[in-house]
Amino acid sequence: MAELNLKISSSPHVRSKDTTSDIMFDVMVALMPALGFGLYLHGWYVLLLTAVCMLTCVGVEALFQKGMHRKVTVNDYSAALTGLLLALNLPPKLPVWMAVLGSAFAIIVVKQLFGGLGQNFMNPALGARCFLLLSFSKYMTSFVYDGVSTATPLAILKNGGSVSIRDMFFGYTAGTIGETSTIALLVGAAYLLIRRVISPKIPLIYIGTFAACIAIYALTKNYDVAEYTAAHICGGGLMLGAWFMATDYVTSPITPVGKIIYAIILGLLTFVLRIFGGSAEGVSFAIIISNLLVPLIERVTVPKAFGADAKAKGAEDKKEIKQEKEETTAEPEEVDKTAKTPTDFKGVMRAVIAICLITLFMGAALGTVYNITKEPIEKTEQQAKEEAYRKVYPLAYEIVPYSEVYDDVDDAAVLEALNEKIHDAGYTSVTIDEVMVALSDYRAGYVFLVTTSAGYGGDIQFALGITYKKEVTGLTFLKISETAGLGMEVTKPEFVDQFIGRLVSEFELHKGDASEFYQVDAVSGATITSTAVVDAINAVLICVKGEY
Amino acid sequence: MKFTFKGGIHPYEGKELTEEKDVIDYLPQGDMVYPLSQHIGAPAKPIVKKGDRVLAGQLIAEAAGFVSANIHASVSGTVKTIEPRLTSSGSKVNSIIIENDKQYETLAYTPNDKPLDELTREEVIDAIQKAGIVGMGGAGFPTHVKLSPKNLDDIDFIIVNASECEPYLTSDYRRIIDDSDKVIEGLRIVLAIFPNAQGIIAVEDNKPKAIKLLQDKLAGDARIRVNAMPTKYPEGAERQLIFANTGRYINSSMLPADAGCIVHNVDTVYAICEAVREGKPLTERLVTVSGDAIKNPCNIRMKIGTNYQELIDCAEGFSKDPAKLVAGGPMMGKAIYTTDIPATKSSSAILALSEDAVAEMEPSACIRCGRCIEVCPGRVMPNKLATLAARNDIDAFVKNNGMECCECGCCSYVCPARRHLTQMIAGTRKLVLANKKK
Repeated sequence: MAELNLKISSSPHVRSKDTTSDIMFDVMVALMPALGFGLYLHGWYVLLLTAVCMLTCVGVEALFQKGMHRKVTVNDYSAALTGLLLALNLPPKLPVWMAVLGSAFAIIVVKQLFGGLGQNFMNPALGARCFLLLSFSKYMTSFVYDGVSTATPLAILKNGGSVSIRDMFFGYTAGTIGETSTIALLVGAAYLLIRRVISPKIPLIYIGTFAACIAIYALTKNYDVAEYTAAHICGGGLMLGAWFMATDYVTSPITPVGKIIYAIILGLLTFVLRIFGGSAEGVSFAIIISNLLVPLIERVTVPKAFGADAKAKGAEDKKEIKQEKEETTAEPEEVDKTAKTPTDFKGVMRAVIAICLITLFMGAALGTVYNITKEPIEKTEQQAKEEAYRKVYPLAYEIVPYSEVYDDVDDAAVLEALNEKIHDAGYTSVTIDEVMVALSDYRAGYVFLVTTSAGYGGDIQFALGITYKKEVTGLTFLKISETAGLGMEVTKPEFVDQFIGRLVSEFELHKGDASEFYQVDAVSGATITSTAVVDAINAVLICVKGEY
Repeated sequence: MKFTFKGGIHPYEGKELTEEKDVIDYLPQGDMVYPLSQHIGAPAKPIVKKGDRVLAGQLIAEAAGFVSANIHASVSGTVKTIEPRLTSSGSKVNSIIIENDKQYETLAYTPNDKPLDELTREEVIDAIQKAGIVGMGGAGFPTHVKLSPKNLDDIDFIIVNASECEPYLTSDYRRIIDDSDKVIEGLRIVLAIFPNAQGIIAVEDNKPKAIKLLQDKLAGDARIRVNAMPTKYPEGAERQLIFANTGRYINSSMLPADAGCIVHNVDTVYAICEAVREGKPLTERLVTVSGDAIKNPCNIRMKIGTNYQELIDCAEGFSKDPAKLVAGGPMMGKAIYTTDIPATKSSSAILALSEDAVAEMEPSACIRCGRCIEVCPGRVMPNKLATLAARNDIDAFVKNNGMECCECGCCSYVCPARRHLTQMIAGTRKLVLANKKK
């Protein structure tokens, strides 16, 4: 008999063919239609950006694992997938170095520092996107479509504009590289469903919950429910998020019931963030916040084992007889329940206390940092203000408070009088924060620091220079958080320059057809912001007597 | 109604290799080895000594208590020695070795032709106990013990497990096709001693011929029905089988009898029929010798105690070098490192696989895909249990229903990270059970 060379291992001796790398590869394949569409829409730079993200992720993971003397596991494709997902979540014209930074953040901070594959508490790609969004919000929210920087459909919708659902469905809109085309994403999702990589449970419940909320909201606002809901479903990162990120194995609950709860939370959070949040988009933040809730969700949704409630036949009868005999004794089941609850309760309490302590500690740390940095920040703000003043009044050799020029005048009293005046004139949302005198050999005047609350994204503060003859010398914004691509456009020269050098008593806002010297054109798609600014300028104008 | 359960997998079945081939009768040539522990319970006590001449069917070791089983010689010959021998479980078990004289001289058995309604409970149990019948599906639980539950009148169902959900195995199928009358008679005998019970023969729907045959033979029988279950592994796992066919649940702390059920393997009911009707002890069984490294995969009617090598040779040996030999099915069977192992009462299959990826599989990190939870018929969380097992956190393991695992292997089968979930969980379960015994 020939010597047999037999292998020994524990059962089962057969395994399914699917491996981790197959799954990751499948997801990458499923993302190809979306990437392809991004490439078609925005050109080759998208490919460069994607390649940079993927290579950085893979490279950084390999380096990190080598450095930590761990097994290098880049051949499971998970890092490459993170890179691809991140790229699809980036605006098409993002500078390469930011993409590199984001990729490194995703792999090192979000993934590897928490133990690598399977241990990260939030989706690395989304974690990195939110990191970039907070760090470089200007770059991350400036979207280009057809070579022109444009607002995303959701932003237009939020500003009261209207959008084409058809364009959104096919993807001919502004947005991140991979999020715009609903159809391309659905093709990818279908592939994943067929390959059984994902189950439709989370995406469908997520989108369903979100759509229901949006529809109710649309009803209360008297919008066209069908159109508004469709636009919200096709718009922004919902499709990309729901099918490709919310279904991420590592950061979604593993229990069947937990998946349902998780998906409902996602839908609600996305609704709240999109409608009531500062930004038009909310999917990324909704997903990473829900990611954080996953351990808690899993804790309370442990599945019941097969036959956990089974009782032996005949045992019940015996129990009943026993009960009849000793009525005063408590049921054994009840004892079990009370015995179980305290431990669970204790565990929850411990978690709550721990979270409270961490929050307190973080709060204290933040407070300390705030106090330390308060003065320098105030100094910087003061400097910024002074700089803005000089900018809006380039002719002045000095800009000084009112009280320095006129002896027996109190600055606060002047402000109060002016504010009363403009409020009486009907400009109730406008406040003058400061008024200065611009001293000039050539033409003297005033510099006003004005805040209006009529903007779309909260208060807008700007400095306005006006000569005593009522000629506008300059306009610059200090605080503004309007929608990128829309409201923010009021800070651009195209809008600002319309006021400069004009000498009028009241500006009139027009939509693209301004012809007279007292008329200005609104920023298209941002009527609210434009009106707020023009109203505030008009309010200031009534404070200046003017000499013609 | 669909006779199924939640979870399970669909591995490659491999049944086409053997299912339509005639069973080969094999008479052993070499020494026969009879491990004294082929069943759950106390090892049997040898009643022969070195040099004794024995006949086929002769009692050579008797049950050492109620939960134990008799062992009979399956050939005629001389007792060579009694010494520990390697078995398929991987450990050495004290065994009686008989030198086969190739005469196959058999004891005379006394048949019993009494009509079913005249058979007494004592008669049936006695015949089964004497014949040394144990569960032939794999566990080897003494059948007379199974048939003596405390709550006799509460038994509502006698289920014949003909699902044969393990890939490659076809011996139960062949048993039904070739000996359906004896299988049915065996079930009727059991039903005769449980007056309140209904009979169920549960067959997976990948065996349409067997279902058709049984249905035809049982047409008009009000007490026995044939349930065609959707093909899925582990349809034949006892708890899942009971649930699929009766909707009743049992957990790890219960016996099937607690849910009013008794489950028997096809070969076991066949053996019951032979024991009661012909007075024949359990000395033979069907074994599937299959796998892609076997030249002529087939089912063999063999004498218990035959050496594995003889059985493989009977299947014309290896067609290529096997990478792995498995005693039993590929999902729950044990890998063996030598063919010098005796076939026992619960040997259902010998598989020779030319490729084995499992032994070298490097487990990687769990990506929490949840597939193990989806397929787990016990509805536990294998990923969590495996982590707890690795951490040796026995309390948490038990708390998280670790003992509800039936070690069916589904979780390991699907795991894309190639984690050895079943192995890790099974190891800790053994530890918990051992601690309990202390």
